[in-house]
Amino acid sequence: MVSGPPVIELRRLHRSFGLTKAVDDVTFEVQRGEVFGYIGPNGAGKTTSMRILATLDLPTYGDALVDGFSVINDPDRVRRRLGFMPDYFGAYANVTCREYLDFFARSYGLRGSERRRAISQAMSFTRLDGLAEKPTLGLSKGMKQRLCLARATIHDPSVLILDEPAAGLDPRARIELREMIRALAAEGKSVLVSSHILTELAEMCDRVGIIELGRLLAVGTVAEIQAGQRQHNLVQVRVIGGAQNLGRWLEEQGGISQIRLDGELAHFTHEGDRQAEAALLREMITAGFEVIEFGCKQVSLEDVFMRVTEGAVQ
Amino acid sequence: MSTIDPVAKSEVVPENAPAGGSFWQRTEAVLESLAERLNPILVKEARQALKSKQFMITFSLLLLAGWGWSFLGISFLTPGIYYAPGGPFMLIGYFLILTIPMMVIAPFSAFRSLASECEDGTFELLSITALSSRQIVTGKLGSALLQMLVYYSALSPCIAFTYLLRGVDIATIFWILAFTLLNGIGLAAVGLTVATISRVRHWQTFLAVALLLALLFVTFLWCYTIGAVIGMSQLPAYETSSFWIMLFGWFTIYVAYTVMFVLAAAAQINFASDNRSTKLRVVMVCQQALIVGWLIYFGIESSAPGNIFLFVPLILLGLHWVVMGALMIGEMPQLSPRVLRSLPQTLVGRMLFGWFAPGSGTGYLFAATNLFAASLVVVAAGALAQAYSTATFPPDSKVAGAGLLIVSYVVGYLGIARLLILLMRKVTHAGLLHSFIVVVFLAIGSSLGPFFLQLVISDFTETGYTLLQIPNWAWSIYELTDNGFTPEISAGTLIVAPLCAALVFIINLATCTGEVSVDRIATPQRVVDDEIELHPEKAPKTPEPTDPWLRWEQEEAAAAKAAPESPDANG
Repeated sequence: MVSGPPVIELRRLHRSFGLTKAVDDVTFEVQRGEVFGYIGPNGAGKTTSMRILATLDLPTYGDALVDGFSVINDPDRVRRRLGFMPDYFGAYANVTCREYLDFFARSYGLRGSERRRAISQAMSFTRLDGLAEKPTLGLSKGMKQRLCLARATIHDPSVLILDEPAAGLDPRARIELREMIRALAAEGKSVLVSSHILTELAEMCDRVGIIELGRLLAVGTVAEIQAGQRQHNLVQVRVIGGAQNLGRWLEEQGGISQIRLDGELAHFTHEGDRQAEAALLREMITAGFEVIEFGCKQVSLEDVFMRVTEGAVQ
Repeated sequence: MSTIDPVAKSEVVPENAPAGGSFWQRTEAVLESLAERLNPILVKEARQALKSKQFMITFSLLLLAGWGWSFLGISFLTPGIYYAPGGPFMLIGYFLILTIPMMVIAPFSAFRSLASECEDGTFELLSITALSSRQIVTGKLGSALLQMLVYYSALSPCIAFTYLLRGVDIATIFWILAFTLLNGIGLAAVGLTVATISRVRHWQTFLAVALLLALLFVTFLWCYTIGAVIGMSQLPAYETSSFWIMLFGWFTIYVAYTVMFVLAAAAQINFASDNRSTKLRVVMVCQQALIVGWLIYFGIESSAPGNIFLFVPLILLGLHWVVMGALMIGEMPQLSPRVLRSLPQTLVGRMLFGWFAPGSGTGYLFAATNLFAASLVVVAAGALAQAYSTATFPPDSKVAGAGLLIVSYVVGYLGIARLLILLMRKVTHAGLLHSFIVVVFLAIGSSLGPFFLQLVISDFTETGYTLLQIPNWAWSIYELTDNGFTPEISAGTLIVAPLCAALVFIINLATCTGEVSVDRIATPQRVVDDEIELHPEKAPKTPEPTDPWLRWEQEEAAAAKAAPESPDANG
């Protein structure tokens, strides 16, 4: 990731459809070479904001900038810098994969050897070399996604917007797609990717934004968001000689709830940050408990997502 | 690789062009170079069409029909074919076979091609490429033209055969085929415009049916006309200059309208913040100039009754500006920052070209003033013609009266429609389609309403023109042109209608001051820099200093900057 002026910038973006606020005051930035994950339940406003960034829709209020150009006033300049992969394929009948890419390469103004080289690179990058002469409509889901990615990258854009690129893919195809996205980011491209597969986003993205009901609820690295959500951590403690006494002791402590005992194990929810957890362990040992295991359950992105969002739909 | 516009840096000369290859190698290299410049949509559609079943079936049917008619027609003409000319008879058959793919299938395919892009979601992918909306539309039009040329090629041997059968000359065959091709292109442009009207599926279905019926109707009319020309031997007089002037006149108007349809389709699919109106307004002015100019020319030249050449242009101009005005008053009154960057700056520029800027108010004033100016020209031409021509012209006061009424009704009803649209916008969104529908309802309501009201009030006894018909534009204009200055017309309609129109015009003028008082804004530096990066030749050059000492100083400074630093300097 390269520091500097943001490549993608959403400024107080609003988009309403009648009374429904699909995007409600969303603001965030994406740096050059950064992979930004956009997470949210169905109908949260991910696709709408991505379509606005891709110059396919207009905001009701606010603006979005790509490489410093407004999507409202200079969409033509934004489009030259942008590769968009929507959540649908968009294929033409009676066209092979090579012809499909050739058409889009021509449409982006690539000519002659430059176009042939771009097609070859895109097919090689997405491992579609063997399917060059295959009709696009006969491709499998995974191959279609690859072809979409090849189309989105054919003109070497500096910004990529990928809407649910991993939807419907098998595990192997997902891993390959993740590698491709990381490779694109390593080349200096800024990638905005939305997905429902949160574990993948956690591994792939430098930062994530969680959106629900059109509002951006949290933005940051996965660790930052996890840290922000560690106020109610699930703690597991194993003590020698059973956890009955520990259970009673815990009931007397503040900030502890949902205590559950299981032989030597005690599970409970603790309110507080990492320092508070360390202090609790120290007090336990001072109180005479022979603690042989003290662990806070790592809050996954899924946990964070479930806590941050309410599952509401519009 | 960078993301800067590849067009700017791509080479034109093909890399594989052999320096000293054979003639065919050089030709191939040139053709390849030309292919690189072809519209990508045309290339893609040609590839698709050659593999599509629809094209194969149409082409095969055309071939079969051509062969079938060859055998059938000859069997009808036999044995007379040996001593009597059979060319016209056979040509009519081939012409009928050709017009269906040329004037129905190809234009409808153009419509479907663009409509299906919207339905399948591929249009969105297309719209975010570097292709402009005009390139998309012209690519589709080019594809339709290519399709038509292929259809021609299928029947060209048969048509050449008709010449051998005698009775029809090459010039007639050429003109019929050329006009059919031009009609096909024009209809394809209309089809593309229709495809952009709505992206909602049920509207698309309705538009498809309406377009198909319209294409069939136009094709029927064209076939009937050409059938009459060929069958009744009413061949054009090629040797007369009036034929060529008329042809040129028709062609200029045809080009103006086809360009307008192409620009209208491109404007419809263009992004919202771009200026989608100015180019169309320029074309509208050209159309008006052509209509007025040619009709007056033919009016003066012709010995036919002059009323055709004075009332017809007035009515055509009225219709022209009602339709154009109905669409322009539906434009949004706010200008995007992108449009504001290109507004005229000077006082004269703003006075002359401010009306070409997009907007509901400027559109209304544009339509009203253009119609007024054109009507003045027609009335003046009528007065001149009456004074100098030998043809029977109507009294110029009658032409002036008709012109005044047409201008009054168009200005009045367009103004009322615009005010209604402004009111509608306070509660809901209203665009071009809404404004067009409002104008159509006003036009129908204002003519039928007073008519039925009069019938009801008089208990169906009063069927003549009365003062109640002042809002009735259709009857009032008819009454003036047919019966002249009756008391109701001269003392009522000719006074009330212009006064009402003037009032509506003034109200509209007051409501559109905001649109014309906007100022040009500066282009963002980021955009300026990008433009220079894309087109370095457009970059503003630093002026050369005229002072020789200053120039010498600058050259010295540049040389010092370019010279490598000496090792001593570091030490």
